[in-house]
Amino acid sequence: MSSAWQFYISSVLIYLGVDIMACWGLNLQFGYAGLVNFSFIVFQAAGAYTAAVLTLGRPGPASIQQYLGGAHWPFPLPVLAAGAVGALLAAGVGAIGLRRLRSDYEAMVMLVVSLIATSIATNQTNLVNGANGLDLVPKPLAGVLHVSALSYQWFYVAMTAVVCVLVFLLVTLITGSPLGRSLRAMRENERAAAALGRNVTGLRMLAFVVGGGIAGISGAILVMFISAWSPGSWLYPETFVFFTALIVGGSGNNMGAVVGAVLVPVAFLEATRFLPQFGPPGFIDAVQWIAIGLLALVFLWFWPRGVVPERRRRFPRARSQPAATGGGRLEQNSP
Amino acid sequence: MNLLLPALGFGVVTASILALAGVGFSLQFGVTNILNLAYGSIMTSAAFAALLVSQRGVNLWIAVAAGGAFGAVFSVALNRVVYTPFIRRGTKLFGMIIVTISVALVIQYGIQAIWGASFFSLEGLHASAIQLGPFVFTTTQLGILGIGVGAMIAVHALLRYTTLGKSMRATATNAVLARNCGIATDRVIDIAWAISGGLCGLAGVALVINVTAFTDTTGSDLLVPIIAVAVLGGIGQAYGAMLGALIIGITSEIAAALISPDYKDVVAFVILILVLLVRPKGIFSEIASGKEVAA
Repeated sequence: MSSAWQFYISSVLIYLGVDIMACWGLNLQFGYAGLVNFSFIVFQAAGAYTAAVLTLGRPGPASIQQYLGGAHWPFPLPVLAAGAVGALLAAGVGAIGLRRLRSDYEAMVMLVVSLIATSIATNQTNLVNGANGLDLVPKPLAGVLHVSALSYQWFYVAMTAVVCVLVFLLVTLITGSPLGRSLRAMRENERAAAALGRNVTGLRMLAFVVGGGIAGISGAILVMFISAWSPGSWLYPETFVFFTALIVGGSGNNMGAVVGAVLVPVAFLEATRFLPQFGPPGFIDAVQWIAIGLLALVFLWFWPRGVVPERRRRFPRARSQPAATGGGRLEQNSP
Repeated sequence: MNLLLPALGFGVVTASILALAGVGFSLQFGVTNILNLAYGSIMTSAAFAALLVSQRGVNLWIAVAAGGAFGAVFSVALNRVVYTPFIRRGTKLFGMIIVTISVALVIQYGIQAIWGASFFSLEGLHASAIQLGPFVFTTTQLGILGIGVGAMIAVHALLRYTTLGKSMRATATNAVLARNCGIATDRVIDIAWAISGGLCGLAGVALVINVTAFTDTTGSDLLVPIIAVAVLGGIGQAYGAMLGALIIGITSEIAAALISPDYKDVVAFVILILVLLVRPKGIFSEIASGKEVAA
């Protein structure tokens, strides 16, 4: 395989890893806990900025980019810090923003959080260098490894895979346990879950904070690879891409989230980035977004439960009548 | 005071655009219960419809009317072809948010794919300044004010003095009860989309007249301030939306003058989020209370 192809494939694999992590994070919040977090991308952005600032070092007075703080932390501390910042930010936003609102009102709150965050990051130029964003983020361990650019690509793929596995273990630890069952119970009927003694406020916070932390980690892995990050990288429609991925893949199912990440952000957005451009400038971009919008509409119409629907849980009483466990009309449309 | 007075003047102009858009958004959300996030993109598409008309060399006000008509037809069609079928299929609140965002993306980027991401201006904009007491307005700004005030009077008359207005208010308050009382709610919903779309179209054209140069995102950039106007006033409440438009229009222009123009929209964002967290039902809360927006 030529090295150009290897570069291409390894890059796509790294984007895939990042998107899978992000989809797991959002799936925990939305698919399991039912939180309509339309500011999800903000937490990925917070992680990315944290990792960038903690590897770039202190900016001098004459630096081309100005930002708050700055340090040369060794890998993997910036990634862990990014996860912590994502989780802390989620705790803050969740404490203020997570009220018991109807889901479209909750979506509005989170959408506005996303817009406010973009506005602050853009206009407070001394915080994370404003609209120009941060650039020249060093690659982790590049100075230690002394390998060719191509070998480094594959090293980064392996590292992303390891982080993915760790995130997967964390996510399944929650979703596969009685805790995951409580989250789903809350999603289906909050009042009933509360009546059965579940602390719904705590459960919502837990899903929100862990999801935020995962988003932060995914942002760190992404920014260390692409080495630049600016408000243009995390506009609110990016969150919509992850929601579309969950709808296409199947929300409430970690495997569905993986399938969604492969089909939507990677196949639709990332891979076409490397293809030759045609048409007037911005045309491909526009067509991509139209395609994402239509994809969401088509799936909501034909397969609202996604390619890999959430597994129907069978409990002892249902075992005698396995045929009756389907989800009614929606189920008939599933492939 | 040197900064404050012109800001107040701009604020009133911004408020009339927000009132047009906000009243339309609020009426439609109140009657149909769909949070239509494609509203900003429909505004932009109405502006481009007006652009096409104005390029034929007709009077600017004919282009304005064309924008309004386009908005009305487009909104009714959107509801008939996309939104109602999804609701009949059982798509719930969250699904409808995704549906309306998808539609917003398709419209906005459809415009970008056709016209490209560059700046456009309506033909036939001839503005001259007029001194009114301490304020200086351009003739186009006065035109926008006129459209705003005229449309608000028309909405007031419709809701207050006609049977149709009464049916709309009844449907917004309790659709099932309204239907059981013999109101043809389907027809009311169609008309609500038409009126809301017409106001949306007028607002879109007024907006691009005001900013003079517009792009494919001009309408959707105003979406959150419009939602803020509607939620602050109380969903489904036309008078609330008018009040909300005045509050948000004037405070954001004053903030732009006193702090920085960059923070003009942030005022609307902060007002919206405070209202959602503290009083999600808005100022006039009757209709929102019936919808159980907060548990």
